[in-house]
Amino acid sequence: MTNTIQILSIEKTGKESSLQKEHNNKSIKIIDGYFFSTNLDYQKFTKISKLISNDVSQTILTKKNVNKILSSYSKFNWVVEIKFLPGVTDNIATTVKEIIKDNLKSSFKSFELGSTKIILIKGRKEDITKISKNEANPLIQTIKIYPFKKYLNNFKKNQFKIEKVKLPKKKYSKKEINLDISDYHLSLIGKLGIEENDKSRRGTLGLDLESLKAIRNYFFTLKRKPTDVEIETLAQTWSEHCKHKIFSARIDDIQEGIFKKYIKGATEKIIQLRKDNFCVSLFTDNAGGIEFNKDWIICHKVETHNTPSALDPFGGAITGIVGVNRDCLGFGKGAKPIANTYAYYLADPNKKYQLYRQKNKDPMLPANFIAKGVISGVRVGGNCSGIPTPQGNVYFDDRFAGKPLVFCGTVGIIPKKIKGKLSHKKKANPGDIILMAGGRVGKDGIHGATFSSEELDPNSPVSAVQIGDPITQKKMSDVIIRELRDENLYSSITDNGAGGLSSSIGEMAKESGGFIVNIEKVPLKYNGLYPWEIWISESQERMTLAIPPANVKKVIKRFNARGVEATIIGKFIKKEKAIVKYNKIEILNLDMEFLHDGYPKLNLKTSFPKIKKEKKKVIKKSSLIDKLHKLLSSPNIVSKEFIATQYDHEVQATSIVKPLQGEGRIFGNATAIKPLFDDEKSIALSQAAYPQYAETNPYDMAGCSIDTAFKNLIVSGANSKKIAILDNFCWCSSDEPERLYQLKEAAKACYDYAVAYQTPFISGKDSMFNDFKGFDKNGKSVKISIPPTLLISSIGIVDKISYLTKITPSDDDILIVLGNTLNELEDSVYSKIIGYEHSKNPVVDSKVALRTYKNFEKANKLGIINSAIGIDLGGLGIAVTKMAIASKKGLIIDLKLKNKISVDQFLFSETQSRIVVSLKKNKLANFKKIFKISDYTIIGKCTGSDVIEFKDSKKIIRGKISDFANSYKQNIKGL
Amino acid sequence: MNVLVLSGYGINCENETLHAFEVVGFKGKIVHINDLIQNPKQLNNYQVFAIPGGFSYGDDTGSGNAMAKKIMTNLYDQLIDFSSKDKLIIGICNGCQILINLGLVPSINKKDPEVAMIENKSGNYECRWVDVKVGNNKSPWLKNINTLNLPVAHQEGQFMIPINILKSIKTNKLIGLQYIDDDKKLARGKFPFNPNGSKDDIAALTNQNGNVLAMMPHPERALYNYHIPDWQNNTSKKFGDGHKIFMNAKNYFV
Repeated sequence: MTNTIQILSIEKTGKESSLQKEHNNKSIKIIDGYFFSTNLDYQKFTKISKLISNDVSQTILTKKNVNKILSSYSKFNWVVEIKFLPGVTDNIATTVKEIIKDNLKSSFKSFELGSTKIILIKGRKEDITKISKNEANPLIQTIKIYPFKKYLNNFKKNQFKIEKVKLPKKKYSKKEINLDISDYHLSLIGKLGIEENDKSRRGTLGLDLESLKAIRNYFFTLKRKPTDVEIETLAQTWSEHCKHKIFSARIDDIQEGIFKKYIKGATEKIIQLRKDNFCVSLFTDNAGGIEFNKDWIICHKVETHNTPSALDPFGGAITGIVGVNRDCLGFGKGAKPIANTYAYYLADPNKKYQLYRQKNKDPMLPANFIAKGVISGVRVGGNCSGIPTPQGNVYFDDRFAGKPLVFCGTVGIIPKKIKGKLSHKKKANPGDIILMAGGRVGKDGIHGATFSSEELDPNSPVSAVQIGDPITQKKMSDVIIRELRDENLYSSITDNGAGGLSSSIGEMAKESGGFIVNIEKVPLKYNGLYPWEIWISESQERMTLAIPPANVKKVIKRFNARGVEATIIGKFIKKEKAIVKYNKIEILNLDMEFLHDGYPKLNLKTSFPKIKKEKKKVIKKSSLIDKLHKLLSSPNIVSKEFIATQYDHEVQATSIVKPLQGEGRIFGNATAIKPLFDDEKSIALSQAAYPQYAETNPYDMAGCSIDTAFKNLIVSGANSKKIAILDNFCWCSSDEPERLYQLKEAAKACYDYAVAYQTPFISGKDSMFNDFKGFDKNGKSVKISIPPTLLISSIGIVDKISYLTKITPSDDDILIVLGNTLNELEDSVYSKIIGYEHSKNPVVDSKVALRTYKNFEKANKLGIINSAIGIDLGGLGIAVTKMAIASKKGLIIDLKLKNKISVDQFLFSETQSRIVVSLKKNKLANFKKIFKISDYTIIGKCTGSDVIEFKDSKKIIRGKISDFANSYKQNIKGL
Repeated sequence: MNVLVLSGYGINCENETLHAFEVVGFKGKIVHINDLIQNPKQLNNYQVFAIPGGFSYGDDTGSGNAMAKKIMTNLYDQLIDFSSKDKLIIGICNGCQILINLGLVPSINKKDPEVAMIENKSGNYECRWVDVKVGNNKSPWLKNINTLNLPVAHQEGQFMIPINILKSIKTNKLIGLQYIDDDKKLARGKFPFNPNGSKDDIAALTNQNGNVLAMMPHPERALYNYHIPDWQNNTSKKFGDGHKIFMNAKNYFV
């Protein structure tokens, strides 16, 4: 009899090698363990072991052989046992259960099991402690460290245990909350949550005093007290995360708020001017939709998952990516996800910041743990879902030490019409059944929406972390897209993300009028959840569908046939009421209007910020070649190839411009996919953000982001009239007038540049409080705010394959830079790495830029351009060096200095809207017919040698391409 | 000519795999494994059985293991029967891992799995283009092919082969594809030419009849010329190297 199955790889695994290397210890072995809630007899043990292991590559440990086998590897003396805390998603355990059930059928009915990672080492206790810190997260996992002898003893005595979720089995009685209390006690409810009978608090509601008073007034007119469910629901629905109160607030003299005036306002203005069918569905749905061709629509959405990623980087990031996939599934009648995008803004993984949420305890995770976790979370989420991840970037800055920014995006595709009806229109009708499909509900992510709207402080709830399960979602998604959608079996669909059912059903019910939900019908992961928890849980992998009653049986049958659960949990009604019952007891009854619009509107004021910037006038003396090497190997310019090769960008066989470009594999600024086999149109994707420019001038910062995101698509060959953009504002301290001033300025730039480029905003999201309040290692209180960050994602259509450009020049090509170079080194990579030089910040002149882009587009269509690269971080010098590395062909650059600028300024200034192009000599005459002489400079040619040469009036400076390539491909320290 | 392309539980390359077969002239259908278990007789309608790439069961308990166990429990005899007929089977990437876990390849002793797929030596997921050459092998899938430029994308692509089995594999000429370097010589384990550290640079194996091919690289992702990295430097071709594999399947039946 035994209660565990433990499996060992015979040969050293890749994971073991990397652990050994990282910890400089040759004696590390990892065991895959499974702990069962019941004892297995010999027969079951043998059968199950065979089902979950591999005879050729693995060994099964038994009481008899464990000592002998392990001692053949090393004289181990310490062990760490890592398993998930009760209630945390354990995907491996789910799979193992499924294999066992499928094989043993009914002979093995009720059992629980948990997967475990057991690491054995020969070394000191400090060593195993260090390993455990790098391999496990105490927020979601239990970490047990003990001597090897005890491990053997546990084995012999069946002492491995799984912990089950233990919840009090109390009978539910309706809980009413008294709000007729002092302001002080009222605000305690908002900040710490509803008080339980034992005086403990449930966790933050994120409701301010004004909101709580509005709730009190509403119930005063109803002449009754609110229930706990009602307050929780209002907190979810009114959260900053869901309602974007700051973007919709009156701000200074802008009555309608910056979203309506600047973001939506820009798009409306553009639609009015364009008069075409490009914009299909904007701002109203889970993602924004544009026309791809006459039969298809594509949609795009970018989300952030910052706070969860700070607490559990892997879980936060995987949930971020599979969550935004569901936004596509929930676009119109359900778009198929065809590409993922990512952007990470992180602290330096090589630095130790040592921050604590409470004085001397509750430490922030180390920066490299966060970076690695985030990168692998999106890897597992994207790769396992079969969605290519071609496009992304990473940026490092110390100011992200308190909160990383994790942007996850998805592009989807859907036919314009389904059975003759427009696919982007959906409407839950009164009488439609509410069906929840996909995963089950647990305590995952309770209060996720309310807490992500708040600063990260000691009261941030542990249960706010969820872990995505991409396989469950893939199964569900396949049924929806392939077996339900095209038969029009449902009338509406949306995903369960922030706020869970309360949010998804609340939103859909706007289409019909209202809803009645019987919350006890919702299938649970484990018993003992309170109704309010079920209602707002953010357990992943769930979609909510509105189904005409006649189709319900068919729909449930199709889900079940694919191993996906689907449950009727209520119905949509005409009456504008939100009603939730628990075993027939009414626990929520709100007017829909109050639910969605009853919150008090904010009235915000801004003030001009006093910039506190350190200005050091230090320029370290070094040669030009040295400076180039330093910039190339700096973390924000160096190649991100190690991420690109981990993310499957080839699945679906659509990759046409890849993340790594040219024989020398340059990490490109834009990528393209060709989504349909029978249409040569492609989708080009890019993104840009300049947090480093934000404090100097937020207006110009936003201008640069839009310009770069737009430019990168132009350079890739996209049609300038078919480019749309998405805005993701990640701000800090958005209750401070100075930060709000920056926000207003950035939003104003969004309007100005979007209208100038005629590129509509189709979707967006904001996250307003990315601040850390805590303590440093000396117990001194600190606040770290991110720099205001506006990520602009761009999506555009390339009409023909032949328009797609490359970045590799050919022998004898002439090199030309489009656009003028100004002395704009302020906040540049150069000023950070080489030394600060008093200069100006980059400012985008949209008229000049647009002229460059239109001319480029024309020249490219005529076949005049042979290769091209947009100039961004590090300036012209970096751009041409990248061209040489990509093509492995030498270049000679003539340093023609116009506008009284220095060599360093010419090479490293980050002046926007510039492109380096190369063309064959015989195309120069045609080129000159298109471009005005003042709009370009011929800077050199491609020699095809193995060196890059910079020619001054006096001397020539040379460097080998392979040396530059080595600098560019250096590993990022700490990763 | 009909091809059945398997789907379900995290397999995710079924659309492009079916498309590749259709381009060379096959008719085909994507069939969910649960539907195949319900009605295994439908296999009689097909000449080719394809298990595409993907992440069946999220690679939990080892890539391909859980799906192989599901097939063993529910469909094993039918699949053995299919493989013993004059028909073709291909497993690509996760499909390759499933065939290996089923023991359908190399199937020297015709019983338990003899080869294992283990984690890449780098410990990382590797999505990159590689060059492979056809080994000394008579499989119809590989006829008239010398080398191929194809992408791989996997976490567990390393063939682990016990010495005695490797010997039999060589004697029986069952090595399908091997990774090669820039000089078209065997990669000899050198990264990134051999992306996973696979023994003898093995990228694909066949069974003894050669009608079952288990390959880690993805031919369906190298179907057209525009799939190839930097295709802009050579726009004269229509197809990429992956096309050859599917053409061979067609030519076998024509």
